[in-house]
Amino acid sequence: MDPSQSFEDQLGALLPRLRRFAHTLSRDSADADDLTQATVERALRSKAQWQPGTRLDSWAYRIMRNLWIDTARSRSRKARIEATPEEAELIGEDPRTAMDAALDLKRMMAAMERLPDEQREVVALILVEGFGYREVCEMLDLPMGTVSSRLVRGRNRLLAMVGEQ
Amino acid sequence: MTVPDEKFFAWLDGELSPDEAALVEAEVARSPELARTAEQHRAMQSRLKMAFDTVAEAPVPGRIRPNANVVDFVAAKRARAAGRWGSPAQWAAMAATLAIGIFAGTLIVPRASGPVEVQGGRLYAAASLNRALDSELASAPGTGPVRIGLTFRDQSGAVCRTFTDPQSSGLACRNGSRWQLRGLFAAPEGQSGPYRMAGGMDPNLAALVDSSIAGDPLDAAQEKAAKAKGWR
Repeated sequence: MDPSQSFEDQLGALLPRLRRFAHTLSRDSADADDLTQATVERALRSKAQWQPGTRLDSWAYRIMRNLWIDTARSRSRKARIEATPEEAELIGEDPRTAMDAALDLKRMMAAMERLPDEQREVVALILVEGFGYREVCEMLDLPMGTVSSRLVRGRNRLLAMVGEQ
Repeated sequence: MTVPDEKFFAWLDGELSPDEAALVEAEVARSPELARTAEQHRAMQSRLKMAFDTVAEAPVPGRIRPNANVVDFVAAKRARAAGRWGSPAQWAAMAATLAIGIFAGTLIVPRASGPVEVQGGRLYAAASLNRALDSELASAPGTGPVRIGLTFRDQSGAVCRTFTDPQSSGLACRNGSRWQLRGLFAAPEGQSGPYRMAGGMDPNLAALVDSSIAGDPLDAAQEKAAKAKGWR
């Protein structure tokens, strides 16, 4: 990130990563893009609260995570409880037939969807977004022990769902 | 497993100190079971990452675009609250704008062919303006001449929306199942036409919004939700 860039430009440069994070949290791409857009708006409106010199990415990720909790959580929990047999089948399909990573996205989103929220956000931030444990503790305001035990449970559950390759 | 789960995965994620990592490394080298678990998890993580990376590598859809009107309005509101209200240029711009019809029930002169109609002494949106107010989202502008700016709730709780077309801009609020006009302002002389949007919100309209609004304007998700509920 180039600190000489304007706030808006830096935020714009983060958009692809924010969209990726939104996809790890959301049920489908349409919801993910709604979440991304709401995050960008909230970030622009809260610009005064961001302290220059601190990491804009962690700040924007936190906004997205909080919005997701506010708006999407109840909906996605309901959806997970009502997961259809077709969805369960989709997750269990042989991954070797899905050579294309883009096709695999649907399966991975369905698998992430079935993780409890508190495991899903930790798995997403560490395994997909590449944040360090300590950064995630700060972002989510959680102690290290909680983050690492959620990560253990989340990734074991994911492995059980998507199987070995 | 001879290594606790948390420690094993911290090793896998490169989170251990070199000394601790060397200890786990040695355990894994001794245990085929641990080595297999490490392999499975590496494969799963790489598959997960590759799948979601397709999103980060794809172009960002054009529809992800903050509503600049909301952002500008909130910024302007803050600036005014901070005491920077009323630069001479602002007042000059206000004076140059001609109000052609304004406020609940008081009809001045609606445009003869404009998308407004009078009923019971009140001015309501009609035709293309009514359609735009009903169906357009600021976050997903349509191709028609009317552009929606801000959507907000007024102090009575009614949904209000600002709009702009090539000749004018204004404010309409929900009254029953219709959009009642609260204000309609002609574009300043020489500024009509498709390019006047660039100049930002008409200062009269901004003042009218300021005096009506309760809280902040709706963001994209709230705007969408309000539409789904029929602007109630």
